Amino acid sequence: MADCNSTTGLFQHKDKRVPMTDKDANGGGGNGKLDPFDPAALRLSQDFVGMSGVKKELVTVRVRKPGKQEWFRVHPGEDYRLSPLAMINLKEEGEYYVVDPSVYEALANEVIFVSLYTVITRQGVVTLWPIPLPAADGKDNEWWLSAREAATRAMTQWVRVVANKSNNANDIFTGPASMAEPEWPNRPFRDLLEIAFGRGYRVDSLTHPVVKRLQGLA
Amino acid sequence: MLEQFREVVLVDFEFETITDHPDPVCLGMHEVHSGRTIRLMRDQFDPVPPYGTGSDTLFVAYFASAEIDCHRALGWPIPTRILDLFTEFRDRFNGVSTVGGNSLLGALAQFGFDGIDAAAKDEIRKAIGDGTWRGKYTPEEILDYCETDVTALKRLLPAMLPGIDIPHALLRGRYMAAVSAMQRNGVPIDVEMLAKLREHWKAIQEDLIAAIDVNYGVYEGRTFKMERFVRWLTTNSIPWPRLESGRLDLDDKTFRQMAKAHPAVSPLRELRSSLADLRLEDLGVGSDGRNRAMLSPFRARTGRNQPSNTKYIFGPSVWIRGLIKPPPGHGLAYIDWSAQEIGIAAKLSGDENMMKAYVTGDPHLAFAKQAGAVPPDATKDSHEDVRDQYKQCNLGVIFGLGAEGLAARIDQPTYVARELLVQHRATYRQFWKWSDAAVDHAMLYGRIWTVFGWHVRTGPDTNPRMLRNFLMQSNGAEMLRLACCLATERGIKVCAPVHDAILICAPLERLEQDIATARAAMAEASRAVLSGFGLGTEVKRVHYPDRYMDKRGIKMWQTVCGLIEKRINKRAA
Repeated sequence: MADCNSTTGLFQHKDKRVPMTDKDANGGGGNGKLDPFDPAALRLSQDFVGMSGVKKELVTVRVRKPGKQEWFRVHPGEDYRLSPLAMINLKEEGEYYVVDPSVYEALANEVIFVSLYTVITRQGVVTLWPIPLPAADGKDNEWWLSAREAATRAMTQWVRVVANKSNNANDIFTGPASMAEPEWPNRPFRDLLEIAFGRGYRVDSLTHPVVKRLQGLA
Repeated sequence: MLEQFREVVLVDFEFETITDHPDPVCLGMHEVHSGRTIRLMRDQFDPVPPYGTGSDTLFVAYFASAEIDCHRALGWPIPTRILDLFTEFRDRFNGVSTVGGNSLLGALAQFGFDGIDAAAKDEIRKAIGDGTWRGKYTPEEILDYCETDVTALKRLLPAMLPGIDIPHALLRGRYMAAVSAMQRNGVPIDVEMLAKLREHWKAIQEDLIAAIDVNYGVYEGRTFKMERFVRWLTTNSIPWPRLESGRLDLDDKTFRQMAKAHPAVSPLRELRSSLADLRLEDLGVGSDGRNRAMLSPFRARTGRNQPSNTKYIFGPSVWIRGLIKPPPGHGLAYIDWSAQEIGIAAKLSGDENMMKAYVTGDPHLAFAKQAGAVPPDATKDSHEDVRDQYKQCNLGVIFGLGAEGLAARIDQPTYVARELLVQHRATYRQFWKWSDAAVDHAMLYGRIWTVFGWHVRTGPDTNPRMLRNFLMQSNGAEMLRLACCLATERGIKVCAPVHDAILICAPLERLEQDIATARAAMAEASRAVLSGFGLGTEVKRVHYPDRYMDKRGIKMWQTVCGLIEKRINKRAA
């Protein structure tokens, strides 16, 4: 049988911590003195966003190129990108590892240098996009150039990139200006890096499993 | 809590129901502060009630519209402060199961009180209702019986009072007076046509099936053949929802939804629904030619009315609404809010984009423009198909429709529907944040509520889709209730509340004035619910001798009328 005699639970909104009316915190609270026919006095808050106290936690940040069907934006803030950054890319696994400066000389043959951008998709999924920088000798290619161009455009408009093998470059598609602006998570770039690389995706010693694997030892 | 009232009167009438309106037999009353109890048979009544009806008297009843009906029958003033323990019981346990339902006996049982023997109660109530009590029961026995309900109120009030939010309860009680007024008005019916329908309905059914089925080919005799329906759907490229078993979902609710997305389905749906459920004899029409059904206020979880489908002219077979016809010299107006649910969602969520879309007057086309699917100068005519997809998405979201359901509605692959939903989320981000938070709040804290305090509570079987839909529907119900209060209190003859609309009746020379008054009441109600954000209304007028017609039912109505005429002519020949 339902708890019918106790008001506990059933009438929690009388708790003064929860703002109930548009006017004050106790408006709906049964003091019995409000004018029953004055709608303004009777209104209870519908601010469930404020009352629920629920927030979405960011627990996963993948490091990858946006998919060919994904519309995305790049965070325009300079404090939301990093360049140059040394990384190892395990292509078969589609995994990126950030390489600590203390070891990258020893891994020079495996390391690539990238610019790392913060990306958000239309579905609100946050990722990091590593785009290779020109090689030390200044050698660049159309894949990288077109990717950087896409990232720059995506700072102000919605973009989609599709690999065009016959052109050896990415085709860039832009969405209409009327598409709604993205809502970026309220987390600093540092946190995004920690979420993305904090669980074993940082190579800071030559005993890291990825190094062993590259050396054929694992 | 009760001290603010000079009098707190617990009231119960017994009444006969053999005429169009309740006819009071006796009254039982107990005044809480003084302990005074009064029992009166009809012939002992004075021209005014033995209690006050002003704002210093709290009038307490269980399902108060019946008591208010008696006040109207007696020409007594309508109480201005009504506390209905039925509405409060519904509010308190809405969404969770109760021990014994929502009747007075059920409420007593819920709070651990014994009621009088239910069987005995039914017997005497029936005798009073049908007027056969005379000779079977003495006036003293009738008064004793009446007093048992007053005694029940005496027990129930203190048990429920700590959980009652008096101002909101009084607003609900106020609506019970409006319900009484609307039930008394009733909906004017073309009784001549109804008589013909009743006479010929059974006889024309086979011809009716043949006439409608000519465009479908799904019937074999009177039997609806599934494989033929599949063939028709395939030929017409209409994707149809399926059950887990893989069979087509032939539920009337599904047919109704699909008829909205695919108008070609509508006549078939009307036919199936009518053959299965239409019971013309049950349609309650009084000697004054008015359809009356108990509106059953607050019965739905959303707080909406839930009148009997078979007794109410606004039941599910929409073609039967062609029977609605104003009396000579009168007109009807069907006034509904424009895109009410979207307006509610926009304002209550605080979504600026959705509010901007609403105020354009065409929120569906505005959504398509905001999402970049059509150019800024697109019109309803230039981009009808795209607009329709965005409309289905707009409306589907309110009901928590997923990608597959939306795909079926718009007759497109699931990825198209999924992209529409993505666009909706991206365009109306604040709405989604609010909608998600409302579901979270309900699941975390056990309940959510409307602006005027109608609650739904969550239990182990609560469906999140219901919660998502609840705030639009239940706040829409608040809006309708307040509009009905304002309109009836301002002298408008409201015949019926219909989801997001009201039907009013007035002499032709006063019709426009009454329409203006009713629209003003509806605008005021929308501003009250939505903190000043007024929703627009649309009016459909019907002047005698024309009849009301729902466009979804025109084909069926015309077919039925044609068949009846044919039979009558044949008989005459």
